[in-house]
Amino acid sequence: MLLKINFKSGLPIYLQIVDQIKAVAASGALRPGESLPSIRPLAEELHVNRNTVAKAYSELESLGVIETLPGRGCFLKENHSALRKAVRRKLLTDEIDQAIVQAHHLQVSRDEFLKLVHERLNALDDKRRGHEESKENQKNQEVR
Amino acid sequence: MNSLTPPIQIENLTYAYGSAEAVRDLSLTVQPGRCYGLFGRNGAGKTTTMRCLLNLLRPQRGQVCVFGLDPAKHEVEVKRSLSYVPDQVVFYPWMSIHETLDYLASFRPNWNRQIEQELLERFGLDPMQHTGNLSKGQRTQVALIAAVCPETDLLVLDEPTSGLDPIVRREFIEAVIGAYQQGVPGHRTILVSTHLISEFEGLIDEFTIMERGHAVLTLNADEARERYRKIRASFAEPVPDIDLRAALRVRREGRDLELIVNGGGAELLERLRRQNPRALSTESLTLEEIFVATLKS
Repeated sequence: MLLKINFKSGLPIYLQIVDQIKAVAASGALRPGESLPSIRPLAEELHVNRNTVAKAYSELESLGVIETLPGRGCFLKENHSALRKAVRRKLLTDEIDQAIVQAHHLQVSRDEFLKLVHERLNALDDKRRGHEESKENQKNQEVR
Repeated sequence: MNSLTPPIQIENLTYAYGSAEAVRDLSLTVQPGRCYGLFGRNGAGKTTTMRCLLNLLRPQRGQVCVFGLDPAKHEVEVKRSLSYVPDQVVFYPWMSIHETLDYLASFRPNWNRQIEQELLERFGLDPMQHTGNLSKGQRTQVALIAAVCPETDLLVLDEPTSGLDPIVRREFIEAVIGAYQQGVPGHRTILVSTHLISEFEGLIDEFTIMERGHAVLTLNADEARERYRKIRASFAEPVPDIDLRAALRVRREGRDLELIVNGGGAELLERLRRQNPRALSTESLTLEEIFVATLKS
Protein backbone atom coordinates (compact mmCIF):
# COMPACT_ATOMS: atom_id res chain seq x y z
CA MET A 1 0.00 0.00 0.00
CA LEU A 2 1.59 3.24 -1.11
CA LEU A 3 0.20 6.46 0.27
CA LYS A 4 1.31 9.95 -0.62
CA ILE A 5 0.69 13.16 1.26
CA ASN A 6 0.19 16.29 -0.80
CA PHE A 7 0.66 19.44 1.25
CA LYS A 8 -0.68 21.54 -1.61
CA SER A 9 -4.09 19.91 -1.69
CA GLY A 10 -5.41 21.99 1.19
CA LEU A 11 -6.94 18.86 2.76
CA PRO A 12 -5.98 18.05 6.37
CA ILE A 13 -3.29 15.35 6.41
CA TYR A 14 -5.37 12.85 8.39
CA LEU A 15 -8.20 13.16 5.85
CA GLN A 16 -5.79 12.48 2.98
CA ILE A 17 -4.81 9.25 4.72
CA VAL A 18 -8.48 8.37 5.30
CA ASP A 19 -9.39 9.05 1.66
CA GLN A 20 -6.44 7.12 0.27
CA ILE A 21 -7.06 4.06 2.41
CA LYS A 22 -10.73 4.14 1.38
CA ALA A 23 -9.59 4.29 -2.26
CA VAL A 24 -7.14 1.41 -1.77
CA ALA A 25 -9.96 -0.65 -0.26
CA ALA A 26 -12.39 0.23 -3.08
CA SER A 27 -9.82 -0.74 -5.70
CA GLY A 28 -9.37 -4.17 -4.17
CA ALA A 29 -5.67 -3.64 -3.48
CA LEU A 30 -6.52 -4.30 0.15
CA ARG A 31 -9.16 -6.93 0.91
CA PRO A 32 -11.42 -7.53 3.89
CA GLY A 33 -9.48 -9.27 6.62
CA GLU A 34 -6.11 -8.02 5.39
CA SER A 35 -4.03 -5.92 7.72
CA LEU A 36 -3.10 -2.28 7.42
CA PRO A 37 0.41 -1.09 8.19
CA SER A 38 0.73 -0.26 11.85
CA ILE A 39 0.82 3.36 12.91
CA ARG A 40 4.54 3.72 13.65
CA PRO A 41 6.01 2.49 10.34
CA LEU A 42 3.39 4.35 8.34
CA ALA A 43 4.09 7.60 10.21
CA GLU A 44 7.84 7.13 9.73
CA GLU A 45 7.43 6.37 6.04
CA LEU A 46 5.18 9.36 5.36
CA HIS A 47 7.18 11.65 7.70
CA VAL A 48 4.00 12.67 9.44
CA ASN A 49 3.09 12.95 13.07
CA ARG A 50 2.09 9.67 14.67
CA ASN A 51 -0.96 11.30 16.20
CA THR A 52 -2.11 12.22 12.69
CA VAL A 53 -1.97 8.59 11.53
CA ALA A 54 -3.68 7.53 14.76
CA LYS A 55 -6.42 10.11 14.10
CA ALA A 56 -6.87 8.81 10.54
CA TYR A 57 -7.16 5.23 11.80
CA SER A 58 -9.68 6.11 14.47
CA GLU A 59 -11.71 8.00 11.85
CA LEU A 60 -11.60 4.92 9.57
CA GLU A 61 -12.69 2.81 12.51
CA SER A 62 -15.64 5.05 13.32
CA LEU A 63 -16.62 4.94 9.63
CA GLY A 64 -16.60 1.16 9.88
CA VAL A 65 -13.89 0.75 7.23
CA ILE A 66 -11.37 -0.91 9.52
CA GLU A 67 -11.36 -2.62 12.88
CA THR A 68 -8.67 -2.73 15.53
CA LEU A 69 -7.97 -6.05 17.18
CA PRO A 70 -6.07 -5.34 20.40
CA GLY A 71 -2.50 -6.58 20.19
CA ARG A 72 -2.90 -7.65 16.55
CA GLY A 73 -3.32 -4.42 14.64
CA CYS A 74 -5.81 -2.89 12.23
CA PHE A 75 -7.71 -4.86 9.60
CA LEU A 76 -9.98 -3.99 6.70
CA LYS A 77 -13.57 -4.86 7.53
CA GLU A 78 -16.10 -6.71 5.41
CA ASN A 79 -19.22 -4.79 4.33
CA HIS A 80 -18.03 -1.88 6.23
CA SER A 81 -20.84 0.63 6.47
CA ALA A 82 -22.99 0.35 9.56
CA LEU A 83 -25.23 3.15 8.30
CA ARG A 84 -28.74 2.59 7.01
CA LYS A 85 -29.13 2.58 3.25
CA ALA A 86 -31.07 5.87 3.23
CA VAL A 87 -28.25 7.59 5.13
CA ARG A 88 -25.61 6.14 2.81
CA ARG A 89 -27.55 7.37 -0.22
CA LYS A 90 -27.88 10.82 1.31
CA LEU A 91 -24.10 11.02 1.94
CA LEU A 92 -23.34 10.05 -1.63
CA THR A 93 -25.99 12.43 -2.97
CA ASP A 94 -24.20 15.34 -1.30
CA GLU A 95 -20.93 14.39 -2.98
CA ILE A 96 -22.61 13.95 -6.37
CA ASP A 97 -24.32 17.34 -6.03
CA GLN A 98 -20.94 18.94 -5.50
CA ALA A 99 -19.54 17.24 -8.58
CA ILE A 100 -22.57 18.42 -10.58
CA VAL A 101 -22.01 22.01 -9.50
CA GLN A 102 -18.34 21.69 -10.50
CA ALA A 103 -19.38 20.25 -13.86
CA HIS A 104 -21.65 23.22 -14.46
CA HIS A 105 -18.84 25.68 -13.78
CA LEU A 106 -16.41 23.73 -15.92
CA GLN A 107 -18.94 23.64 -18.76
CA VAL A 108 -19.15 19.86 -18.81
CA SER A 109 -22.52 18.83 -20.26
CA ARG A 110 -24.93 16.27 -18.80
CA ASP A 111 -23.98 13.62 -21.36
CA GLU A 112 -20.27 14.20 -20.93
CA PHE A 113 -20.70 14.06 -17.17
CA LEU A 114 -22.57 10.74 -17.29
CA LYS A 115 -20.01 9.34 -19.72
CA LEU A 116 -17.22 10.35 -17.38
CA VAL A 117 -18.96 8.64 -14.43
CA HIS A 118 -19.16 5.41 -16.45
CA GLU A 119 -15.53 5.73 -17.46
CA ARG A 120 -14.41 6.16 -13.86
CA LEU A 121 -16.53 3.24 -12.65
CA ASN A 122 -15.01 1.07 -15.39
CA ALA A 123 -11.52 2.23 -14.45
CA LEU A 124 -12.15 1.15 -10.86
CA ASP A 125 -13.50 -2.23 -12.05
CA ASP A 126 -10.38 -2.71 -14.18
CA LYS A 127 -8.20 -1.96 -11.19
CA ARG A 128 -10.10 -4.45 -9.05
CA ARG A 129 -9.77 -7.11 -11.77
CA GLY A 130 -6.05 -6.38 -11.98
CA HIS A 131 -5.67 -6.92 -8.25
CA GLU A 132 -7.79 -10.12 -8.37
CA GLU A 133 -5.60 -11.54 -11.11
CA SER A 134 -2.32 -10.66 -9.46
CA LYS A 135 -3.53 -12.28 -6.26
CA GLU A 136 -4.66 -15.41 -8.16
CA ASN A 137 -1.24 -15.61 -9.79
CA GLN A 138 0.43 -15.26 -6.43
CA LYS A 139 -1.68 -18.10 -5.07
CA ASN A 140 -0.92 -20.34 -8.03
CA GLN A 141 2.76 -19.69 -7.66
CA GLU A 142 2.59 -20.55 -3.98
CA VAL A 143 0.78 -23.81 -4.84
CA ARG A 144 3.50 -24.70 -7.32
CA MET B 1 0.60 19.53 37.40
CA ASN B 2 -2.06 17.48 35.63
CA SER B 3 -2.25 16.16 32.09
CA LEU B 4 -4.07 19.30 30.93
CA THR B 5 -1.33 21.73 32.02
CA PRO B 6 0.19 23.19 28.86
CA PRO B 7 3.79 21.96 28.55
CA ILE B 8 4.82 25.46 27.50
CA GLN B 9 3.27 28.81 28.25
CA ILE B 10 5.04 32.01 27.26
CA GLU B 11 3.52 35.37 28.12
CA ASN B 12 4.88 38.69 26.91
CA LEU B 13 8.44 37.42 26.98
CA THR B 14 11.09 40.05 26.33
CA TYR B 15 14.84 39.54 26.29
CA ALA B 16 17.56 41.89 25.07
CA TYR B 17 21.30 41.45 24.70
CA GLY B 18 22.43 44.93 25.69
CA SER B 19 20.31 47.26 23.61
CA ALA B 20 19.53 44.62 20.97
CA GLU B 21 16.09 43.16 21.63
CA ALA B 22 16.18 39.48 20.67
CA VAL B 23 12.66 38.63 21.84
CA ARG B 24 9.94 41.22 22.13
CA ASP B 25 6.59 40.67 23.80
CA LEU B 26 6.28 37.05 22.66
CA SER B 27 3.28 35.00 23.78
CA LEU B 28 2.47 31.42 22.85
CA THR B 29 1.03 28.25 24.36
CA VAL B 30 1.90 24.69 23.43
CA GLN B 31 -0.80 22.16 24.28
CA PRO B 32 0.01 18.61 25.42
CA GLY B 33 0.72 16.06 22.69
CA ARG B 34 1.28 18.67 20.00
CA CYS B 35 4.25 19.17 17.77
CA TYR B 36 4.81 22.91 17.72
CA GLY B 37 7.04 24.65 15.18
CA LEU B 38 8.87 27.88 15.85
CA PHE B 39 9.79 29.28 12.45
CA GLY B 40 11.99 32.26 11.80
CA ARG B 41 15.03 33.46 9.95
CA ASN B 42 18.44 33.48 11.57
CA GLY B 43 18.35 35.93 14.44
CA ALA B 44 14.56 35.97 14.74
CA GLY B 45 14.76 35.07 18.43
CA LYS B 46 14.04 31.34 18.36
CA THR B 47 17.10 30.21 20.29
CA THR B 48 16.75 32.98 22.88
CA THR B 49 13.15 31.88 23.48
CA MET B 50 14.25 28.28 24.00
CA ARG B 51 17.07 29.35 26.31
CA CYS B 52 14.53 31.13 28.51
CA LEU B 53 12.48 27.91 28.75
CA LEU B 54 15.59 26.02 29.87
CA ASN B 55 16.61 28.65 32.43
CA LEU B 56 19.83 29.31 30.52
CA LEU B 57 18.58 32.89 30.28
CA ARG B 58 16.22 34.73 32.65
CA PRO B 59 13.30 36.59 31.05
CA GLN B 60 13.73 40.33 31.51
CA ARG B 61 10.02 40.91 31.17
CA GLY B 62 7.04 38.60 30.93
CA GLN B 63 7.19 34.98 32.00
CA VAL B 64 7.68 31.45 30.78
CA CYS B 65 6.19 28.32 32.32
CA VAL B 66 7.07 24.68 31.64
CA PHE B 67 4.30 22.34 32.79
CA GLY B 68 3.01 25.25 34.87
CA LEU B 69 6.35 25.82 36.62
CA ASP B 70 8.76 28.74 36.44
CA PRO B 71 12.09 27.30 35.22
CA ALA B 72 14.02 29.75 37.42
CA LYS B 73 12.24 28.70 40.63
CA HIS B 74 11.85 24.98 39.89
CA GLU B 75 14.94 24.30 37.86
CA VAL B 76 15.28 20.60 38.72
CA GLU B 77 11.62 19.70 38.14
CA VAL B 78 11.59 21.58 34.85
CA LYS B 79 14.82 20.03 33.59
CA ARG B 80 13.60 16.60 34.63
CA SER B 81 10.41 17.05 32.60
CA LEU B 82 12.09 17.89 29.31
CA SER B 83 14.96 17.01 27.06
CA TYR B 84 16.77 19.27 24.68
CA VAL B 85 18.82 19.03 21.51
CA PRO B 86 20.74 22.31 21.14
CA ASP B 87 21.77 23.86 17.84
CA GLN B 88 25.45 23.34 18.69
CA VAL B 89 26.08 19.92 20.17
CA VAL B 90 29.18 19.67 22.36
CA PHE B 91 30.34 16.64 24.34
CA TYR B 92 33.48 15.87 26.33
CA PRO B 93 35.71 14.76 23.46
CA TRP B 94 37.67 12.18 25.48
CA MET B 95 34.57 10.20 26.35
CA SER B 96 33.23 7.44 24.12
CA ILE B 97 29.60 7.49 22.96
CA HIS B 98 28.90 4.77 25.48
CA GLU B 99 30.47 6.73 28.34
CA THR B 100 28.74 9.92 27.26
CA LEU B 101 25.32 8.27 27.27
CA ASP B 102 26.01 6.62 30.64
CA TYR B 103 27.12 9.95 32.06
CA LEU B 104 23.97 11.70 30.77
CA ALA B 105 21.78 8.82 32.00
CA SER B 106 23.16 9.31 35.51
CA PHE B 107 21.27 12.63 35.73
CA ARG B 108 17.97 11.03 34.77
CA PRO B 109 15.50 9.10 36.92
CA ASN B 110 14.54 7.03 33.90
CA TRP B 111 16.55 5.85 30.86
CA ASN B 112 15.27 3.44 28.24
CA ARG B 113 18.23 1.15 27.35
CA GLN B 114 16.23 -0.63 24.68
CA ILE B 115 15.61 2.59 22.75
CA GLU B 116 19.27 3.53 23.23
CA GLN B 117 20.35 0.26 21.62
CA GLU B 118 17.77 0.54 18.85
CA LEU B 119 18.84 4.06 17.92
CA LEU B 120 22.58 3.32 18.08
CA GLU B 121 21.99 0.52 15.58
CA ARG B 122 19.66 2.58 13.43
CA PHE B 123 22.24 5.38 13.17
CA GLY B 124 25.09 2.92 12.73
CA LEU B 125 27.06 4.40 15.64
CA ASP B 126 29.90 2.53 17.32
CA PRO B 127 29.45 3.04 21.09
CA MET B 128 33.20 2.73 21.66
CA GLN B 129 34.07 5.67 19.44
CA HIS B 130 35.22 8.87 21.15
CA THR B 131 32.80 11.76 20.68
CA GLY B 132 35.74 13.98 19.67
CA ASN B 133 36.04 11.96 16.47
CA LEU B 134 32.39 12.26 15.46
CA SER B 135 31.04 14.23 12.52
CA LYS B 136 28.48 16.98 13.13
CA GLY B 137 25.71 14.63 11.99
CA GLN B 138 26.86 11.89 14.36
CA ARG B 139 27.07 14.30 17.30
CA THR B 140 23.50 15.38 16.61
CA GLN B 141 22.46 11.72 16.49
CA VAL B 142 24.05 11.10 19.90
CA ALA B 143 22.30 14.20 21.23
CA LEU B 144 18.98 12.89 19.93
CA ILE B 145 19.55 9.51 21.60
CA ALA B 146 20.32 11.34 24.85
CA ALA B 147 17.11 13.34 24.45
CA VAL B 148 14.81 10.41 23.62
CA CYS B 149 16.03 7.81 26.18
CA PRO B 150 14.89 9.69 29.34
CA GLU B 151 11.31 9.46 27.96
CA THR B 152 10.36 12.95 29.01
CA ASP B 153 7.00 14.48 28.16
CA LEU B 154 8.58 17.43 26.35
CA LEU B 155 11.26 17.43 23.67
CA VAL B 156 12.83 20.75 22.69
CA LEU B 157 14.73 20.77 19.39
CA ASP B 158 16.69 23.87 18.39
CA GLU B 159 17.48 23.90 14.65
CA PRO B 160 18.21 20.19 14.93
CA THR B 161 18.80 19.44 11.26
CA SER B 162 20.57 22.51 9.93
CA GLY B 163 24.01 21.79 8.55
CA LEU B 164 23.33 18.06 8.26
CA ASP B 165 23.27 16.05 5.05
CA PRO B 166 19.86 15.03 3.62
CA ILE B 167 20.12 11.38 4.67
CA VAL B 168 20.97 12.26 8.27
CA ARG B 169 18.12 14.78 8.27
CA ARG B 170 15.62 12.15 7.15
CA GLU B 171 16.86 9.64 9.70
CA PHE B 172 16.63 12.28 12.41
CA ILE B 173 12.99 13.00 11.67
CA GLU B 174 12.12 9.32 11.38
CA ALA B 175 13.72 8.72 14.78
CA VAL B 176 11.70 11.54 16.33
CA ILE B 177 8.49 10.05 14.92
CA GLY B 178 9.36 6.43 15.61
CA ALA B 179 11.22 6.55 18.89
CA TYR B 180 10.11 9.70 20.68
CA GLN B 181 6.47 9.69 19.69
CA GLN B 182 5.90 6.13 20.86
CA GLY B 183 4.76 7.16 24.32
CA VAL B 184 1.16 7.49 25.45
CA PRO B 185 -0.62 9.46 22.70
CA GLY B 186 -1.17 13.02 23.79
CA HIS B 187 1.70 12.92 26.29
CA ARG B 188 4.67 13.54 24.05
CA THR B 189 5.01 17.19 23.18
CA ILE B 190 7.61 18.59 20.78
CA LEU B 191 8.81 22.15 20.33
CA VAL B 192 11.03 22.49 17.30
CA SER B 193 12.64 25.62 15.93
CA THR B 194 13.78 25.51 12.35
CA HIS B 195 14.09 27.33 9.10
CA LEU B 196 14.18 24.04 7.19
CA ILE B 197 10.42 23.96 7.34
CA SER B 198 9.56 21.53 4.57
CA GLU B 199 11.17 18.53 6.24
CA PHE B 200 9.10 19.00 9.38
CA GLU B 201 5.91 19.84 7.51
CA GLY B 202 4.16 16.53 8.19
CA LEU B 203 5.09 16.60 11.84
CA ILE B 204 3.96 20.11 12.72
CA ASP B 205 0.49 20.53 14.25
CA GLU B 206 0.77 24.21 15.01
CA PHE B 207 3.36 26.90 14.45
CA THR B 208 4.44 30.44 15.18
CA ILE B 209 6.39 32.51 12.68
CA MET B 210 8.80 34.89 14.44
CA GLU B 211 10.33 38.00 12.99
CA ARG B 212 12.63 40.34 14.92
CA GLY B 213 11.72 38.71 18.22
CA HIS B 214 8.00 39.03 17.67
CA ALA B 215 5.30 36.52 16.75
CA VAL B 216 3.86 37.54 13.39
CA LEU B 217 1.63 34.53 12.75
CA THR B 218 0.37 31.63 14.87
CA LEU B 219 -1.80 29.00 13.21
CA ASN B 220 -2.82 25.39 13.11
CA ALA B 221 -0.94 23.74 10.20
CA ASP B 222 -3.98 22.18 8.49
CA GLU B 223 -5.91 25.42 8.85
CA ALA B 224 -2.98 27.42 7.47
CA ARG B 225 -2.78 25.24 4.37
CA GLU B 226 -6.52 25.63 3.89
CA ARG B 227 -6.40 29.42 4.17
CA TYR B 228 -3.24 30.24 2.26
CA ARG B 229 -3.73 29.52 -1.42
CA LYS B 230 -2.10 30.32 -4.67
CA ILE B 231 -4.47 31.07 -7.53
CA ARG B 232 -3.31 31.12 -11.15
CA ALA B 233 -5.41 32.43 -14.00
CA SER B 234 -4.60 33.10 -17.62
CA PHE B 235 -6.77 35.01 -20.01
CA ALA B 236 -7.17 35.21 -23.77
CA GLU B 237 -6.87 39.00 -23.49
CA PRO B 238 -4.60 41.04 -21.23
CA VAL B 239 -5.61 40.60 -17.59
CA PRO B 240 -8.93 42.42 -17.04
CA ASP B 241 -9.34 44.99 -14.32
CA ILE B 242 -10.56 43.08 -11.29
CA ASP B 243 -10.71 44.07 -7.64
CA LEU B 244 -7.81 42.10 -6.16
CA ARG B 245 -7.42 43.98 -2.91
CA ALA B 246 -8.28 40.83 -0.97
CA ALA B 247 -5.09 39.16 -2.20
CA LEU B 248 -1.90 39.10 -0.15
CA ARG B 249 0.29 39.28 -3.22
CA VAL B 250 -0.43 39.90 -6.89
CA ARG B 251 1.79 39.12 -9.85
CA ARG B 252 0.71 40.05 -13.34
CA GLU B 253 2.54 39.13 -16.46
CA GLY B 254 0.78 39.92 -19.71
CA ARG B 255 -2.17 37.55 -19.78
CA ASP B 256 -1.23 35.62 -16.68
CA LEU B 257 -2.16 36.37 -13.13
CA GLU B 258 -0.85 34.80 -9.96
CA LEU B 259 -2.34 35.58 -6.58
CA ILE B 260 -1.60 34.54 -3.04
CA VAL B 261 -4.56 34.78 -0.71
CA ASN B 262 -4.97 34.37 3.01
CA GLY B 263 -8.60 33.27 3.30
CA GLY B 264 -11.33 34.46 0.97
CA GLY B 265 -9.93 32.37 -1.88
CA ALA B 266 -13.36 31.07 -2.86
CA GLU B 267 -14.80 34.55 -3.54
CA LEU B 268 -11.76 35.60 -5.53
CA LEU B 269 -11.92 32.41 -7.59
CA GLU B 270 -15.57 33.10 -8.32
CA ARG B 271 -14.78 36.68 -9.38
CA LEU B 272 -12.01 35.45 -11.67
CA ARG B 273 -14.23 32.74 -13.10
CA ARG B 274 -16.77 35.33 -14.21
CA GLN B 275 -14.08 36.88 -16.40
CA ASN B 276 -13.95 33.63 -18.43
CA PRO B 277 -10.27 32.81 -18.01
CA ARG B 278 -8.72 30.25 -20.34
CA ALA B 279 -7.20 28.49 -17.37
CA LEU B 280 -7.83 28.79 -13.65
CA SER B 281 -6.21 26.74 -10.95
CA THR B 282 -5.64 26.87 -7.24
CA GLU B 283 -3.42 25.06 -4.78
CA SER B 284 -2.52 25.42 -1.13
CA LEU B 285 0.74 26.91 0.00
CA THR B 286 3.10 24.68 1.93
CA LEU B 287 4.21 25.89 5.35
CA GLU B 288 7.50 27.02 3.86
CA GLU B 289 5.69 29.06 1.21
CA ILE B 290 3.44 30.53 3.90
CA PHE B 291 6.58 31.47 5.83
CA VAL B 292 8.05 33.25 2.82
CA ALA B 293 4.75 34.94 1.92
CA THR B 294 4.31 36.17 5.49
CA LEU B 295 7.78 37.64 5.81
CA LYS B 296 7.83 39.21 2.36
CA SER B 297 4.44 40.95 2.49
